[in-house]
Amino acid sequence: MNWLDKWLDRSVEKTTRGLAQRTSRRGFLGKFAGAVIGGAATVPLLPVARSQEAATPAPLEEGDANSCDYWRYCAIDGFLCGCCGGSMNSCPPGTEMSPITWIGTCENPVDGQNYIISYNDCCGKASCGNCLCQRNEGDRPVYNPRVANDLNWCLGTTSAAYHCSTAIVIGAALDD
Amino acid sequence: MKKLIFLTLLFASTAFGQIQPEPAGVIQTLPESWPPHWIIVQDGAFFHMNSGKFIVVDADSDDPATRFKGMFNGTFIPQFFQAESRPEMYVTETFYSRGTRGVRTDVLTIWDKQTLSPVAEVVLPPKRASQMPMNYHIQLVDDEKLALVYNFTPATSVSVIDIVNRTFLGEVPTPGCSLVFPMAGRAFASICTDGSMLSVQLDEDGQQASTARTDVFFDANNDPLMEKAAMVDGVAYFPTFLGRMVPVDMRGESLEVGDTWSLLGAGDDGWRPGGLAVTGTDGAGRIYVLMHPDGYEGSHKDPGAEVWVFDPATRQRVDRIALQLPAISIGLTRDDNPLLVATNINLEVDVYDVASGEFQRTLSDIGAETPFLLHGAN
Repeated sequence: MNWLDKWLDRSVEKTTRGLAQRTSRRGFLGKFAGAVIGGAATVPLLPVARSQEAATPAPLEEGDANSCDYWRYCAIDGFLCGCCGGSMNSCPPGTEMSPITWIGTCENPVDGQNYIISYNDCCGKASCGNCLCQRNEGDRPVYNPRVANDLNWCLGTTSAAYHCSTAIVIGAALDD
Repeated sequence: MKKLIFLTLLFASTAFGQIQPEPAGVIQTLPESWPPHWIIVQDGAFFHMNSGKFIVVDADSDDPATRFKGMFNGTFIPQFFQAESRPEMYVTETFYSRGTRGVRTDVLTIWDKQTLSPVAEVVLPPKRASQMPMNYHIQLVDDEKLALVYNFTPATSVSVIDIVNRTFLGEVPTPGCSLVFPMAGRAFASICTDGSMLSVQLDEDGQQASTARTDVFFDANNDPLMEKAAMVDGVAYFPTFLGRMVPVDMRGESLEVGDTWSLLGAGDDGWRPGGLAVTGTDGAGRIYVLMHPDGYEGSHKDPGAEVWVFDPATRQRVDRIALQLPAISIGLTRDDNPLLVATNINLEVDVYDVASGEFQRTLSDIGAETPFLLHGAN
């Protein structure tokens, strides 16, 4: 029940100390509303914005990509595919990647740049059950589905069974 | 066959004592009207979604064995609603013919409160929204003659069911708008991405008769309404991320957006609503909101440290209940002496007496792993 420990730890951290530093990222939705540049998506990303043509270098990254605190997971809600036989941007064997996703805008601490993250679910099998991670920066209610992580995004797949979630960088977000 | 003959001879030759043998095959039933402090624990089974559970528990009881009254199933992140005029409960489910694969079938299952057995089902279009358990996925309208089920494919729509005759009537599109909120008569409302709400009037056949949209009345990006409204006497009260309360009157043919008020008083800076099930109501029409301090962008699902109680008539906070452990969801029993129940961060259910505000007990060992929602029994 490692995830419960994390939930408890995170909640204690948040409710007792607060995370004032995160407030600097308020207004990121406005940033998302701007253009998305660079990146090369390898799966269809509908109905969310696509990257533009010009490619930019992949972002430099640091940290444990299978930790809930990893920068890409700022708006994720589910099991990390890197703990399920896949990786942060690939699905485990025998699953199917959802072509329809929700997105987050996450700040990469290495370069201080905001990136658009597509959280493609991997589908067709029961819950992975490993590395549950819930973070809600930029998450919005389900009536705003493109930025809502309470939805099962196994849509447009053969089966709606949810297995795990990836976090794929699809571009850099321009500042306002 | 030899074994059968042997067992027959064994029993025939065994001398039974002179006591009345106990009857076999006895199956318990529940009363049609449940005691007021029974609750329904909705276990979303996040780790094995095909085996969700609804567990009936006596929240007054300190006896771990006998407070478990029974349970019923719900498959693949089911959604739930209770009738008030009939001893029935409704669960929307999704099945695949081979478990997690094969042909998909969505159903509205009708469960009987006395037997906890499925007494009927209505097959729905395989479109029902697959989302975290949340109220306002299923509603009853028109004196509980129509059931409404929210769909998301990601096109949004609502399935309309004649729940009395157990018949699917049709599907109403709700473009850009989500969930179902009950309006007076044969009508419902949905909440929209652009910061407005949609109202839909249905005809005698359950088909769309007319629609209307409110003006945009909230900022869906910077201070969105939580879709987790508290409904009191036909008025939906939506808390916002930043701690405002926005009432929408649903008693007429059209929606009326009321004046906004703040949940926060002097000295409450930084407090925000948050959690999975954030609101509740009691029989006196008071509104309960799960609150946490030191809010920040992204804290809207963080566990709450307190439950604040409001009188919507005066817009004043009338009570403040400190939780012994932070909680992710709250619920209320529906009687005049209500209990507040809360899913704590250990995913156990804590029980509080509302009148005194005192913690009473923790309901652990009730067979629930992820008790996402708690419902006071009708």
